[in-house]
Amino acid sequence: MKIRLPKFTPMKIILPVFTPWMAWIGGLAVVLAAGMAAGLMVLWKGLSLTNLTDLVPWGLWITIDLSSIAMSAGAFSLCAVVYLLGLKRYQAVARTATFIGLIGYTMAVLTLLLDIGRPDRFWHAMIYWNEHSVLWEVTMCVTFYLAVLALEAMPIFAGFGWLRSHWPKLAQKMSRVHHYAPYLAIAGLALSMLHQSSLGALYGVLKARPLWYRPDISVLFIISAIAGGMSLTVFASMLSARLTRHANVDNNILDRVSHIIGWVLVVYLYFRFWDALAMTYTYQPGRTEGLHLLTGGSLSFNFWISEILLGAVVPIILLLNKRTRSLPSWRMLAMALVVVGVVAYRWDTNLSGLMIILSYLPGEPAVAYTAYRPSLIEILTGAGIVSYGLLAFSLGVRYLKVVDHNVVKVHAVESKVIEAILVPGD
Amino acid sequence: MSDIKINRRDFIKLTVAGVTVLAGSQIIRHAQALETLTSNGRQWAMVIDQSKCTGCGYCTLACRAHNDIPPEISWNVVTKTGTVGGQDVYIARPCMQCAHAPCVDVCPVRASTYRPDGIVKMDYDRCIGCRYCEIACPYGARSFNWKQFDGPNPSVPEWGQPEVARRPRGVVEKCSFCYQRIDRGLALGLTPGIDEDATPACAVVCPVGARQFGDLNDPESNVSKLLHGRTSYRLRDDLGTSPRVYYLSATEEPQS
Repeated sequence: MKIRLPKFTPMKIILPVFTPWMAWIGGLAVVLAAGMAAGLMVLWKGLSLTNLTDLVPWGLWITIDLSSIAMSAGAFSLCAVVYLLGLKRYQAVARTATFIGLIGYTMAVLTLLLDIGRPDRFWHAMIYWNEHSVLWEVTMCVTFYLAVLALEAMPIFAGFGWLRSHWPKLAQKMSRVHHYAPYLAIAGLALSMLHQSSLGALYGVLKARPLWYRPDISVLFIISAIAGGMSLTVFASMLSARLTRHANVDNNILDRVSHIIGWVLVVYLYFRFWDALAMTYTYQPGRTEGLHLLTGGSLSFNFWISEILLGAVVPIILLLNKRTRSLPSWRMLAMALVVVGVVAYRWDTNLSGLMIILSYLPGEPAVAYTAYRPSLIEILTGAGIVSYGLLAFSLGVRYLKVVDHNVVKVHAVESKVIEAILVPGD
Repeated sequence: MSDIKINRRDFIKLTVAGVTVLAGSQIIRHAQALETLTSNGRQWAMVIDQSKCTGCGYCTLACRAHNDIPPEISWNVVTKTGTVGGQDVYIARPCMQCAHAPCVDVCPVRASTYRPDGIVKMDYDRCIGCRYCEIACPYGARSFNWKQFDGPNPSVPEWGQPEVARRPRGVVEKCSFCYQRIDRGLALGLTPGIDEDATPACAVVCPVGARQFGDLNDPESNVSKLLHGRTSYRLRDDLGTSPRVYYLSATEEPQS
């Protein structure tokens, strides 16, 4: 007994370790561990652990999947702005967006792996092509775009201190990928234009589902993704700058990006308005019931409050009004609301179509309703995947300086110097 | 600048490689289309006579036994739709084997394909279990294997013996028009729709002869004669899926 006593004495060492940073990382690690345990359970026991059914085969996971891809749209839009429109001043924001994009797409791939019945066959789409399938096209685009994002993020990883000191040549090569940024931006734009809208078309092409069967969903998906992706980038940057000295932001740049988001939201709401209004005329079995589910049924709070009011109208007011936009707290609130709105839109789109069952029986087309509520296992794995994203971003902010609006200016100078040195050598 | 030149050359190389792969896949596709033309012109179809169907559900049970389907899945669903002249009317719904099948279009890995004889075939070794086909099918004809089906099949041996391999957990499955019976029967020189061993199990077991099976392209087949003589309809014909399952309505007087 006497031998064990000294172990309890070094209280002074335990206390300083418990910083807010450690608490944050520790908390995320706990959720991640729980999510991983739940994920392993799903891989082991199968999808019977979910509340998914043959009537609602896609649920929470598909929403996380669609949302994380939408939230990654800041990468392609801002990279296009920087490298194709030549607006270099947004380069630092594009850098953050690229990192978020890489995280978002890996989140989507992880979720998809869980969601498909045979994760061991994930590669089948690469080998057995069905060019008729929107989902095949999405799979190919996501795979290629993940590669593009990994290349685009190379210079960010090249800035990792440990890599620089241990593998300086590799770090140098990785940062040289930056020279291909315009080409990568073109590839990223093309791939994203394809699959960001195709994710909407995934629903839009299904004739069997009258609520979905319209061309507008694909357009709405890409516009909302651009707004949501840029909003998450701005929000994450501002929050990081508030919480840690490892991040710093240029408020002028973020103000401009937020202004753009405000106008993108106006376009989104405009299309959304006509899309919804066009569905209100004449009764169509399945479609009318689906619309009622959104406007007055079980999804109506989500639709009116989360999607339209908080997700679009309030942010538009906050972002197009110069006074509220320039106040960081209001701007951050607006950005967070846009993200909530886009996620709610994905959830509602998926469920409103699935919860309505249109009968195949002859005569009067009968409509039945079903319901879906995610199981604990689905929620746990979902939370695990989200905390993986938060963890990766937090580590990126701290060790890769992904939110640093000064570092890029230095980089720009550096690359010019490098070019100046290299050109005579060629 | 040298970077850019190399990049452009590589880009062209990649493009050429990509186009070659695409063209190759198209050639394979057309080869498959040729196969369709050489299928001896057989196009299988089923005619379900609602004026005869009594809703006994034997078809579902025979289907479960012959195709080794778990009790929670039905490839063939029988539903009561109403009454005509005091008699209950039922509708049996196998897979429609659509000529323009949404499931074939949406499958990201081409696990659902058209056989030359028109049957929509599932490749259970290829299916990744994304369940997009389930969502796309207007007839609810597809079921996902949420669990591994192990243990005895309650429909065996009373309703028949399994003729196909059990599907693994995590893939979607559906009615196949019992093509294992058709193929084996044809190999033995039998005629599907006439000879029981070459006809889908549901049609064989039906105690009232409400299901007829045969070749649409053969004017002398059961189905051709029935469709020629009586008015038929197909489910959700408005969708343009062109089902190969035809229904004879119960509103007509029962005919022999």
